[in-house]
Amino acid sequence: MDKTQEKAPLQTKVTRRDFVKTSAIVGGTLAVTSQVNWAFRKVARIASSEKKTEYPLNKPENIIYSVCLQCHTSCTIKGKVLDGVMVKIDGNPYSPMNMLPHLSYDTPLEEAAKYDGKLCPKGQAGVNTEYDPYRITKVLKRAGKRGENKWQVIPFDQAINEIVNGGTFADGTKTPGLKEIWAVRDPDLMAALKTDAMAVASGEMSLDDFKKKHAAHLDLLIDPDHPDLGPKNNQFVFQAGRIEHGRKEFAKRWLKDAFGSVNWYEHTTICEQSHHIATIQVTNQYKGNGKWGGGKEHLKPDFANAEMVIFFGTGAFEANFGPTPMSELVTWSLSDRNMKMAVVDPRLSKTAGKATWWLPVKPGTDAALALAMGRWILEHERYDAQYLANANKAAALADDETSWSNATWLVKVENGKPTRLLRPAEAGLDDIDGFVVSKNGQLIAVDPNDAKTPVEGDLFVTGSVNGIQYKSALQLYKEATMEHSMEEWSEICGIPVKTIAEVMLEYTSHGKKVGVDMYRGAVQHTNGYYNGQAILMLNVLVGNAGWTGGYGGGGGHWHEDGSKAGPFNLKKMHPGKIGSFGVPLTREKWHYEKSTLFKRDGYPAKRPWFPYTGNVYQEIIPSAAAGYPYPIKALFLHKGTPAFSPPGPNPSLAAIADPNVIPLVIADDIVIGETSMYADYLFPDTAIWERWGTPHTTPAIQAKTSKMRQPVIEPLPDKVTIFGEQQPISMEAVMLAIAEKMGLPGYGKDGFGKGLDFNTRQDYFLKMAANLAFGDKKDGSEAVPEADDKELAIFRAARAHFSAALFDEKRWKKALGNDETLWRRVVYLLNRGGRFEDFSKAYNGKKLGHPYSGLFNIFVDNVAAGKHSGTGEHFSGLPRFEPIKDASGKVVEQSPEKYPFQLFTYKEIYGGQSRTISDYWDQLNVAKENYILMNKADADRLGIKDGDLAKLVSPTNPKGEWVLPNNENIPVAGKVKVIQGIRPGTVAVSWHWGHWGYGAKDFVVDHRKVKGDARRAAGLCPNAVMLDDPFLKNATLSDPIGGSASFLDTRVNVVKL
Amino acid sequence: MPEIPVIQEREDVIARMMDDLQRALKKPPSERRWGMVIDLTKCTGCDSCTVACKSEHKTPPGVNYNVVIKEEIGTYPNVRDVFLPRPCMQCENPPCVDVCPVSATYKNEEGIVVIDYDVCIGCRYCITACPYGARSFDFGEWYTIDTPEVAPYETAPTFEYSEERVREDGKSPIGNVRKCNFCIERLHEGLLPACITTCVGRARYFGDLNDPDSLVSELLRQKHAFRLKEELGTEPKVYYLT
Repeated sequence: MDKTQEKAPLQTKVTRRDFVKTSAIVGGTLAVTSQVNWAFRKVARIASSEKKTEYPLNKPENIIYSVCLQCHTSCTIKGKVLDGVMVKIDGNPYSPMNMLPHLSYDTPLEEAAKYDGKLCPKGQAGVNTEYDPYRITKVLKRAGKRGENKWQVIPFDQAINEIVNGGTFADGTKTPGLKEIWAVRDPDLMAALKTDAMAVASGEMSLDDFKKKHAAHLDLLIDPDHPDLGPKNNQFVFQAGRIEHGRKEFAKRWLKDAFGSVNWYEHTTICEQSHHIATIQVTNQYKGNGKWGGGKEHLKPDFANAEMVIFFGTGAFEANFGPTPMSELVTWSLSDRNMKMAVVDPRLSKTAGKATWWLPVKPGTDAALALAMGRWILEHERYDAQYLANANKAAALADDETSWSNATWLVKVENGKPTRLLRPAEAGLDDIDGFVVSKNGQLIAVDPNDAKTPVEGDLFVTGSVNGIQYKSALQLYKEATMEHSMEEWSEICGIPVKTIAEVMLEYTSHGKKVGVDMYRGAVQHTNGYYNGQAILMLNVLVGNAGWTGGYGGGGGHWHEDGSKAGPFNLKKMHPGKIGSFGVPLTREKWHYEKSTLFKRDGYPAKRPWFPYTGNVYQEIIPSAAAGYPYPIKALFLHKGTPAFSPPGPNPSLAAIADPNVIPLVIADDIVIGETSMYADYLFPDTAIWERWGTPHTTPAIQAKTSKMRQPVIEPLPDKVTIFGEQQPISMEAVMLAIAEKMGLPGYGKDGFGKGLDFNTRQDYFLKMAANLAFGDKKDGSEAVPEADDKELAIFRAARAHFSAALFDEKRWKKALGNDETLWRRVVYLLNRGGRFEDFSKAYNGKKLGHPYSGLFNIFVDNVAAGKHSGTGEHFSGLPRFEPIKDASGKVVEQSPEKYPFQLFTYKEIYGGQSRTISDYWDQLNVAKENYILMNKADADRLGIKDGDLAKLVSPTNPKGEWVLPNNENIPVAGKVKVIQGIRPGTVAVSWHWGHWGYGAKDFVVDHRKVKGDARRAAGLCPNAVMLDDPFLKNATLSDPIGGSASFLDTRVNVVKL
Repeated sequence: MPEIPVIQEREDVIARMMDDLQRALKKPPSERRWGMVIDLTKCTGCDSCTVACKSEHKTPPGVNYNVVIKEEIGTYPNVRDVFLPRPCMQCENPPCVDVCPVSATYKNEEGIVVIDYDVCIGCRYCITACPYGARSFDFGEWYTIDTPEVAPYETAPTFEYSEERVREDGKSPIGNVRKCNFCIERLHEGLLPACITTCVGRARYFGDLNDPDSLVSELLRQKHAFRLKEELGTEPKVYYLT
């Protein structure tokens, strides 16, 4: 067609770059570029001022709906495209994230095109991230030492070949090939080794027997003396940053199921993981046989109907999950509905600035404050006694409740310490698989999930049976809150008793129309899990779950993996799947005592084990460096920046720079980032607006929502041929190409099963789109409508700027098994950027439309069962306030004299950690740098003035610098901003500045210097001064239960420069 | 006491204002009086409006039609934030108009103070005359000029004043004074200004002040409103609610 020919030069000029040309145009003139870029505009410009130009951005053929990822809220967006260039991003009016209420799903595309939904500034500045002049488009191979930032451009196929078979570098280093690491390749062998290795770990099989049985394959294991560490396959590690659903499943299939490594990670522990883990454990359901599961990871108040909300360590207008959907809910409620709000935050956040009460808590003492609040509620009997008395589902249903708690369940107490839940058999009751409550002095067995026979219990119980002392969970919680007087709690957390009482009086004056939200600030501490648990109790005490104006998990989503009903069950469609086993590098989701290393080393473990959490990001590289539990051979970095974004990353920088520690480092990134500049091979990735994904929705949204990320524009990275098909270089392309080269199972011809090839990323993601379009009902009754011919025409017109490698209708249909009906449903869904339940379904009278249904654990039996790998002591089933501790369980002392300030971080709305410095319209427009925020009283005392330059120093970084191997060190220094809105004795630094990669400094490609942009190096990133764990030495402190990295526990001094 | 509104019965504010807009567009231009109402209790200081405006008009460094002025007031621990978004006030009596030696800037029949880029000689008297700092000069700067490539968004066509323009050296609007024009090109398409649609706190409202049924008129009747530098007699058409 003529159109493609007409398009070709435009795309070449606008979207293709390479660094050879790029270096040559440094310092070139703009005039050239500007004329070239837009010379091919289809709509001829009308010279006459009489005849006005038509406004093109409200036409559906210039719009593709997709999903943002400038922060993890992943808001639905409307990409506006002009001649193949995404010129503006707005909110998607079909989505409840961007309109309140949102447009009906059947609104015609032409009509919706007129509605621009709301969107936060960094989402809009996605245009800047997409067209970042420092985007890489070709494969780079290290031409100097790691981190020296000297590169050569090499062909994609060469890079894949060297990664699979081994490569040699200019400095003489050699990297191993993945084929050496791909040890176990047979699914049956993997399964046999797994079964027996687990038997050795549990003591059911002797090591000798194992070695005899598997003598032929011992060389495939990392350590034949510790078979539970798994096969050598585990020495290939995938470490992702902000990866989302869709890509997660894509990458897990590749690494875990096809390559056979357990070591797949994402970033959550450097975000707010302990909040998730606390929520999961408190909402875990009893599954029988001592097992717990099914906990929700994230609940939120119903801000639109609540009459009082409390935020702990977060707010509605910056960060959290997230400002686009939450801001209007809260501003409207505050201004028009007279909602009351308290914000617990040592900094006057923008939310705190609008709050009825600002509670500038001492960082890390959130549990003390929450326990004081709990104490007040209990002492003043302001809890929902009727709700708390319900011991099982039937009792809850009888009270028109969807949730219940284990407040009345009895807990065994040994030597004054609560241990585990009392079981019926222990109490001499009928041996049902359940627990025990006491009612009027009589013990009753209770099955928590019994929906027929209501069981209620007494709330505050102490007693004994068969020589076993017991107390009810609520009694024990009460005692936990009574551990200190209100005055003592107040002294610990720094909030006056009077304020606590005022806030609690308000909180308990609105029935169930209240809620407490928490996020990063409360939990990025070594005591994060307990802080989270203590905060969650405030919701449980008032029984707000499931109620309109109360608390819930949001509207949820349809299932893109096809596990419910969709036509493609992707987990099962994997012929030849190898599977994986073994202790993860980070020792996560694994009890130390159930490993052979425990038998060897005992307590304390050499590094912490994390039985209750996953994705312990900050431990990946340090563990590899320590060779515990085993060394690794290859690391694949995706999007994250582990040498920049965790606390205390200097030791990680040293490790990643050393080929003896990590012999092969592959990265895919959209730019040369702070960590990806230490890679051996760096692949360009597709940016957010060029790729696919199915991120899930914040619980702040009450209508069921499934978002569909899809390409808005042609990807900038070069095209390569994999499995005979053209595709842009991307994370997916690298995985597919390695799969092709190595012959990994489940890829290429018939990769999903007979007749369904897996050659391109579309082969995967279109199936996800189809599953969403089909819905979660097996009979298909939930399917979205089929696009009619008119909608199909708009769909095609909106994609006219795509190359055939990106959009080929026949090829896309083929990925759906050439099912025309399904195809049209997918088009309908893609035309709207996902599927969105009608707003009328968000609420069901007094109940949320999708209420939380199930148990809340006041005593968390599952966690009480586990032990701290440093001390061998049991964790607590109850929330408690703990000081900051290291991996061996020892309290960390920091001199308040030498280090008088507690450091914490926060996010501005313009920033998304490490990836918004390229946003010239937003971050670099509304700010030029960040600051060390300090209270005026402190500044006056120290003689520091607003704007003074200062450096941060800490006990484990007394020089206050980033130590960058093979590159220039950077001081942790910036300007002090003197303000009133911060707790004295603390300093805060926002978390979006202080770059040395990401285009901030010069680098070399093919012997030519590419000039960095000094604006991008502005400000400071405080992470380098954050504490190293005194026991581990080479990594930050971590929460042993929730896994969160300790971002907010370091004391610093501010040294004027 | 007014009844407390319920989310389940709420109409989206954008949808309401879109309806207001369609109604106004049916009237002759001279009978419309476009105005903006900004509820400071709902402004979260996010600068979503600032960026939407930049994105809509591709304004260069140093040119922001809209800014959000941020101030902290009080002493610890009794501290509040004040955020004040500042677009062009679209004054009834605009001081900027009188000083223009070439009549490039004028109040159009809908009450919007516009700039004819093809007439503007860039003398910048109007910048000095504006009491609100709403005007800035396009010096021809670019965000990405010293980087490996000038980003295509900087040279993308814009549709300001319903004229398609590609910003390039030696041509308007480089060398002109620039400012907020209530997204006049969008209004005439039946679209609300970009700062209005994008506002995540839903603090900004727009409509026809001459229409008693418009949301902006309703808000001005119901709530306490003020205008900036009222004493100057400029009669701004941007109102703030507190």
